[in-house]
Amino acid sequence: MDEKAERQLTELLATNLDGGFTELVRVHGRAVYTFLLRVCGSATEADDLGQDTFLRAYTALQVYGPERRRALRPRAWLLAIAANVWRNHLRTCSRRPALAGVPVEDTAEARSDHRPGPAELAALADDRRRLVTALLKLPEHHRTPVVLRHVVGLSYREVAEVQQCAVGTAKAQVSRGLRALRRLLEPETALLEGVTP
Amino acid sequence: MRSDHEAPGAARPGPAGLTAEPPADFAVRVLRRAGVPRETYDTYVRLDTAVGALFVAASPEAVTGAALDTDGSTATAFEELHRARTGRSALRSARAFPGVVTALRTGRARRLPIDLSPHGPVERAVLEAVRSVPVGQLRPVGWIAQEAGTAPEAVAGAVAQNPAAVLIPSHRVTYDDGTPCDAAHLPDTGDALRAAEGIDLRRVAELHRRGVVFLGSDTTRIYCHPTCAHARRITPPHQVPFSTAREAGLAGYRACRSCRPLTV
Repeated sequence: MDEKAERQLTELLATNLDGGFTELVRVHGRAVYTFLLRVCGSATEADDLGQDTFLRAYTALQVYGPERRRALRPRAWLLAIAANVWRNHLRTCSRRPALAGVPVEDTAEARSDHRPGPAELAALADDRRRLVTALLKLPEHHRTPVVLRHVVGLSYREVAEVQQCAVGTAKAQVSRGLRALRRLLEPETALLEGVTP
Repeated sequence: MRSDHEAPGAARPGPAGLTAEPPADFAVRVLRRAGVPRETYDTYVRLDTAVGALFVAASPEAVTGAALDTDGSTATAFEELHRARTGRSALRSARAFPGVVTALRTGRARRLPIDLSPHGPVERAVLEAVRSVPVGQLRPVGWIAQEAGTAPEAVAGAVAQNPAAVLIPSHRVTYDDGTPCDAAHLPDTGDALRAAEGIDLRRVAELHRRGVVFLGSDTTRIYCHPTCAHARRITPPHQVPFSTAREAGLAGYRACRSCRPLTV
């Protein structure tokens, strides 16, 4: 998302909370959902946590004054909330282990009927599935930065903002995460070719 | 009927291709739970038509915009277009505005409420006139101008602004000589829409080649637009071609009361 559109969005948020929030959901809903789906692996859970994220965002925006809303960087801010929601969810699950469901990758999503023919599709779906399962095998502190940087496509500055750390730390986390991912995918490193930290 | 759940990055390998579409009603549920009033935003669905997918956005009261997917416009592009055109946010939803699916299936969208308030009075009158063209029939610019009570020069410009592709049937408008006036879409799209409605494109082209603008019947002495339901029932031996309304009037023919061609 470019600078100008971000500025328009924050301007709208400052003047008209409901209208701005609607735009926020429209523009960033996909990024938030993708992040949550790729870190937790379950479509229903990602949906629930996504709802929770936006509800928290709305509650926070109601309290913020117009100046603070104008100064916001919406995408990084929303993903920071999502990351917190996800962390809280993990903590709740660890305290109530009976509730911790087995992450199930939504195979229906992976098999969407898009342009490539059946053969490419099978290969693609297979690649996607392998990548997704490998991502889910990463430890949590590596998974979040890798997903933020390479799936959602944040800049390192934004990753650092979400993770509340220095930019250098964010880079190191992503790079370590990628290295771990490469190890997990050892025979199929081709999948990550061209992705440089 | 629905074709939701397209993942835009699905074709790209690597982690960037793992972008996922949230469930269709994700955004709408968020806003409902947050308590944002429903009147402040529009929802849209992607519906399949004979010429490809059609995005249809609607407020709680009326359809506010529609655009075809043919020229590679994605959901995001449609959202941006809708925002630029109406100033309202369009959010993906799982349910179409009541009546839209039926209107698309039958081609009868006349009674569908469509919000034309962002347009000026002339454009509104022209677009309302275009909406009154029946399924499977064509009307010339002169006829639209007469029905709308405006100058014929204003018609093409107003039709080009059609905010609801397919639902406002601008593909049923022709120039006065019978050639299609595809002001709001590509000619190929227009041809596909016309063919899907059962308009015989070859017959239309043939009539145009012969310079026929109106068809009369020598048994009833009435003349019609050639695509009017009554004109299509005239058997070939009784068809009398006319190139102007004046010619028909001089021959002692009166205008059809159903398709109301121009009179002199």
